[in-house]
Amino acid sequence: MFLALKEIRHSKTRFVMIGIILVLISWLVFILSGLGNGLAALAASTFKNMDADYVVFEKGSKASMGKSLLSGELTARLTEIPGVEAASPMGIIFGSAVRESGDPEEFKLDIALVGIEPGSFLEPDVAEGAGLDAGSPTHVLANESLKDEGFRIGDTFVLDGTTEELTIAGFVRDQTYNHIASVFIPIETWRKLAFAAPGSDKGLKDPVNAIMLQGKDIDPNAINERLPGTETVTRGQAVQGISGYKEETGTIFMMLGFLFVISAFIVGVFFYVLTMQKSNQFGIMKAIGAKNGFLGKAVISQVFVLSLASILVGILLTYGTAAVLPKGMPFRLETSWVIAYSLILLAISLASALISVRTVVKIDPLKALGRVE
Amino acid sequence: MMTHGLEMQSVSKFYDAGSERVTALDRVSIRVEPGEFVAVVGPSGSGKTTFLSIAGALLKPTEGAVFLNGKNISALPDKQLSDIRLREVGFIMQASNLVPYLNVLEQLLVVKRMSGKVTPADKAFAAELLAELGLAERMKRYPEELSGGEKQRVAIARALMNDPGVILADEPTASLDTKRAHEVVSLIARAVKTRRKAAVMVTHDERLLSYCDKVYRMEDGRLSLADPAPVA
Repeated sequence: MFLALKEIRHSKTRFVMIGIILVLISWLVFILSGLGNGLAALAASTFKNMDADYVVFEKGSKASMGKSLLSGELTARLTEIPGVEAASPMGIIFGSAVRESGDPEEFKLDIALVGIEPGSFLEPDVAEGAGLDAGSPTHVLANESLKDEGFRIGDTFVLDGTTEELTIAGFVRDQTYNHIASVFIPIETWRKLAFAAPGSDKGLKDPVNAIMLQGKDIDPNAINERLPGTETVTRGQAVQGISGYKEETGTIFMMLGFLFVISAFIVGVFFYVLTMQKSNQFGIMKAIGAKNGFLGKAVISQVFVLSLASILVGILLTYGTAAVLPKGMPFRLETSWVIAYSLILLAISLASALISVRTVVKIDPLKALGRVE
Repeated sequence: MMTHGLEMQSVSKFYDAGSERVTALDRVSIRVEPGEFVAVVGPSGSGKTTFLSIAGALLKPTEGAVFLNGKNISALPDKQLSDIRLREVGFIMQASNLVPYLNVLEQLLVVKRMSGKVTPADKAFAAELLAELGLAERMKRYPEELSGGEKQRVAIARALMNDPGVILADEPTASLDTKRAHEVVSLIARAVKTRRKAAVMVTHDERLLSYCDKVYRMEDGRLSLADPAPVA
């Protein structure tokens, strides 16, 4: 540690430059992971935050809400299956909210209309205002982001192309689906809006898109056997089935993976070159009696100090960036991920420093007796 | 028989260069007593460096025995050799062989650090050595701020830091002018006498031999006692 710190202090410029590269790498890693998290939340937070374990879809729908249509009558039969503690139907349609009065162009807003049974386990906690009420079928719960568009509790809007006037009874937090704000609505009203066109319900009674289940010990195969024409998946699989979700998160994770591999090489090469430049010094110290362990520790502790400081600066920069990012940008940092990625980066640095230690071990102390005549 | 200082008994070193076998050292025997300052001169390629490397536990001999302070080091494993170098040998290498990012005092203390902790007594000893070599004012300077002669004096102090039995100097005046060369070698000679070290200096600089008690000549790997030191 002594040699490591002395050297960093003596050749500040050199180490600051390497530090900057490490800072930039860690900054990029954290920003990417924040963006990935943000996008994933935007795409699926309504699903991810739901208190459900399994989802029953129509067979062949590939866990996609849009492709699945079931009869709501199945709900009662599902609760009879062993392991199922609770079941509740759900439906999603997309539409535009049009605010009453004023210029309609200006007040159109894309929303995901999520039909649920009021009071069921699918209803999210209310952050502000009142929850859903079966007695008030036109009262809805909207994601908080609607506030930014000027909506307040008690405001009304209609779904574009329909005449039903909906009233915002309360707001909920972190509820988005496929990148747009979710609006929760009693399922009866949802059906009216979703199947307004004759025949669009395919003749099913009480049609819904999917039925959510609670119960840790559910056997999906047993349900598929008991109820032909259905397909039961875990909530996680249902999240993967959201259109575009896999592709989106896959892209981000691919970038992160490559970034880690690239940073391992960059960092490794830097430390290697740094060590090679000092091979003469190491030779001298070996000649006067330094053991490999002494010099190896110096190299490793130097890399550790430098990487740790750089990663910490990277984290600070990331939080700074998050503070100035525009509000609409989907950016979400989770402390656990920041810690995990910091540790991965630190591990990569130390592992690549081991290559340098190997070269130190190989340096021949005889080098110190070289001639300069 | 317990001998202090350095003793080599019929030491040979062979290298395989392609199909040829090169003899770098040919049955070299030498004995250097504590308090004795010996010079080895000879043309380049004569085996001086190999001789010094073997005496300093940097290289193992092919044949023969090397005793440092009575201990036979010719068959020790590498790990113990670095320990021998640390405790028993003080190397004075060519100028500029200091660690660039340590100041003069730290150059000495790092030697102590290699074997463990630095005690206040070590610090005091380092300061004493530096004062003896006229470096008391330069203790906080870095090598880049020192002249060639000063650097070499730091190297002498570093070699003495662990109080070794044997001092080995490898062309200590290679990059110095005549005045500084005399200054450095006289300092080595004085330290050897007052501290009772067995010292060997490899040099091609015949101006400096008057400081030495004995002069050996190395030619084609053979070591022989030279005629009384030639006057420069």
